[in-house]
Amino acid sequence: MIEFKDFSFQYEEGKEDSLKHVNLTIPDGTFLLLTGRSGCGKTTMIRSLNGLIPHFYPGTMTGELLQNGVSLVEMPPSEMAGKIGTVFQDPRSQFFMTDTTRELAFGCENMGYSREEIIRRMVKTAQDLELGEYLNRNIFALSSGEKQQIAIGSVYAMTPDVYIFDEPSANLDYEATRRLTKVMKFLKNAGKTVVVVEHRFYYLRELIDQVAWMEQGELVRTFTREEFWNLEEETRIRYGMRTLFPERELRKYQSPSQAEGTHTPVLTVSGLGYAYEKRTPIFSDVSFTAGEGEIIGIIGHNGAGKTTLLSVLTGLLKEKTGEIRFRGNRLSPRKRRKLSYLVMQDADYQLFASSVEEELTLGLTPAEAGGEKVLRTLDELNLKEYRERHPASLSGGQKQRVTIGAALMKNSQMLYFDEPTSGLDYDSMVRVSGLIRVLAEKGGVIFVISHDFEFLARTCTKILKLDRHQRTYHLYRTEEVIDELIDELTEK
Amino acid sequence: MSEQSIQQKIEQNLFPGTANLDPRCKLLLLIFLGFFSYMIVGDVTGLLLMVVFGFLVAAGGDGKWAVKMLVAYVVVAYLNTRLKYVTIPGLSVIMSVFGVTILKFIPIIMVGRWVLRTTCMDDLMVSLERAKFPREITIAFVVMFRYIPTLKIEHGMIRNTMKIRGIVDTFWKKLLHPLSTMEYILVPLLMRCLKVTEELAASGTTRGLERENVRYSLRPVRFGWKEVAVAAGGFLVLFTLYVLDHTAVGAVVIWR
Repeated sequence: MIEFKDFSFQYEEGKEDSLKHVNLTIPDGTFLLLTGRSGCGKTTMIRSLNGLIPHFYPGTMTGELLQNGVSLVEMPPSEMAGKIGTVFQDPRSQFFMTDTTRELAFGCENMGYSREEIIRRMVKTAQDLELGEYLNRNIFALSSGEKQQIAIGSVYAMTPDVYIFDEPSANLDYEATRRLTKVMKFLKNAGKTVVVVEHRFYYLRELIDQVAWMEQGELVRTFTREEFWNLEEETRIRYGMRTLFPERELRKYQSPSQAEGTHTPVLTVSGLGYAYEKRTPIFSDVSFTAGEGEIIGIIGHNGAGKTTLLSVLTGLLKEKTGEIRFRGNRLSPRKRRKLSYLVMQDADYQLFASSVEEELTLGLTPAEAGGEKVLRTLDELNLKEYRERHPASLSGGQKQRVTIGAALMKNSQMLYFDEPTSGLDYDSMVRVSGLIRVLAEKGGVIFVISHDFEFLARTCTKILKLDRHQRTYHLYRTEEVIDELIDELTEK
Repeated sequence: MSEQSIQQKIEQNLFPGTANLDPRCKLLLLIFLGFFSYMIVGDVTGLLLMVVFGFLVAAGGDGKWAVKMLVAYVVVAYLNTRLKYVTIPGLSVIMSVFGVTILKFIPIIMVGRWVLRTTCMDDLMVSLERAKFPREITIAFVVMFRYIPTLKIEHGMIRNTMKIRGIVDTFWKKLLHPLSTMEYILVPLLMRCLKVTEELAASGTTRGLERENVRYSLRPVRFGWKEVAVAAGGFLVLFTLYVLDHTAVGAVVIWR
């Protein structure tokens, strides 16, 4: 049993407590969902649980945090390893090895187990979690979902009693999320305690025993599964929570959109195809038109070619067949790059300058970067007060807005978003959706790659679905594809 | 998949031949090479050095890479000779110094990348620990080793963004503004590096990276007679080439 008893914590560089008088009991074998708006203290809770606080992230604390009566905060992380296992959010930055087999062995090697014991544990892990096919592969060649399976395996091999997952579905497609649910169900059935921090939690609804909702460092409310399933819609939205039943939410978007028919066609893609050297095509014969102000969602499983399609449309790759025309003019990759702007999932790659204002004008001629326009853009995106700040010092959402600002300054006619709502709470998702719709009203065409169907249904006029087996695509109006999206979600 | 086939897969050797040498042996060879490469200046001895170490790399499963580097060596060596005939005051000297430096680096790059690609981080960690390196140094060394392959991926992402934003997106802009190009690549790269190393360290810590107990790696790590023979052989070859360099052999000119 884990107990938080009047537990408070303040980071060394923090101005106020990140956790305030938290009282929570997690009985053994409980499946706990920890949720709340961004910055509410969820991450601090799990850092306290896995020993990173106070040893890795120092600070001051009061109250107690106990596991079976033993204080967790006094235990060094090296002693906790093997007892409490953590699967981190970003699958790219939690691997120590470069191949999958060694990664699975990593934790056991640290524990000082003999070679025979390490192999025995690895065999059991590969069998229990069905990881046999992933062995001896290069970590960098795996998809996000596969990387996460290896991360879970590496923790599982150490046989901890408590598992912590930090936003595990943030980088996954629906297929990978279903596999994640299966693994979590396996852990729950094995009697393990599972703590999951998550914004999009619909996939956990059958597993949850207890839900803790936090706000501004306080644990405000706990729910049993029944209470959580029957939560009023209005309360859920007030709490800034995503829905537990996205299929119900999606049905709302099944009636034809009001704006249908008002879009003048501007972008014509015909017979577009791409293949990496001498290999089978990633996609071929993609043809569609997009109207001014349209928002097109791109969906498909990992490996279906979403990123490659985006790279060709933005002009980062040159098409092998077909052509792309904008307002009647055929566009070379170079011209496409001039007209396009890609807002990446990870804003850190996109920020180069030393102030927000400089960031917005980077790469533009003095005429293009006229003073008035910068101010207007800053104002429009609520960034005026951060004008002089270093972009790296901003929060994730603010960084995203700075990159959007750079797109506005560049006057991009074609905007591309890659997973813009990954890891966002309900309020932020609604805000991003609204912002994208406002951008669309300015003209041009917007493309969005996303696995977040709730967001897509709310935002897009059309959905382009790439099929990885048949190497083909389908383009639907959003309301036509809702049934299919629901099937994907509910595993039909 | 059956238990037996999983076990076979786990115990399977990922690399052939010399790539399975103890990481300490590979690192020793790299250090010897770095030391002697600058002192061996003759055309014949330099080429022999490339050939001998090329064989070592090829025997460790990276034959294509060895051939590529050998070709690069010959081309750079030849171009360096041609430079003698170009006389631009100041620039000629800089260019020839630059050319010679690159030439000396080629064998080190050849062996260095091979070591990087064929060394598992856990073998490296265990072997350094066996050599009594302090834990602080081993962990820092391993994190650095692990981060190098990531650099290429991160660099690619940043370059794509630069292209789309129209920041130093052409060859001419790069040539005219080398400092800003460096800055635009380095700033996001450092930001990412800070984030990744923090997350990496956190993930390692929760999996017992800091534990003080003795470690065993999946594959037995031992500095045995093979390693002694290869390290001594490597040293002997380099020393012989160095001696030869001071005889008539060192004065033979191949590249004219």
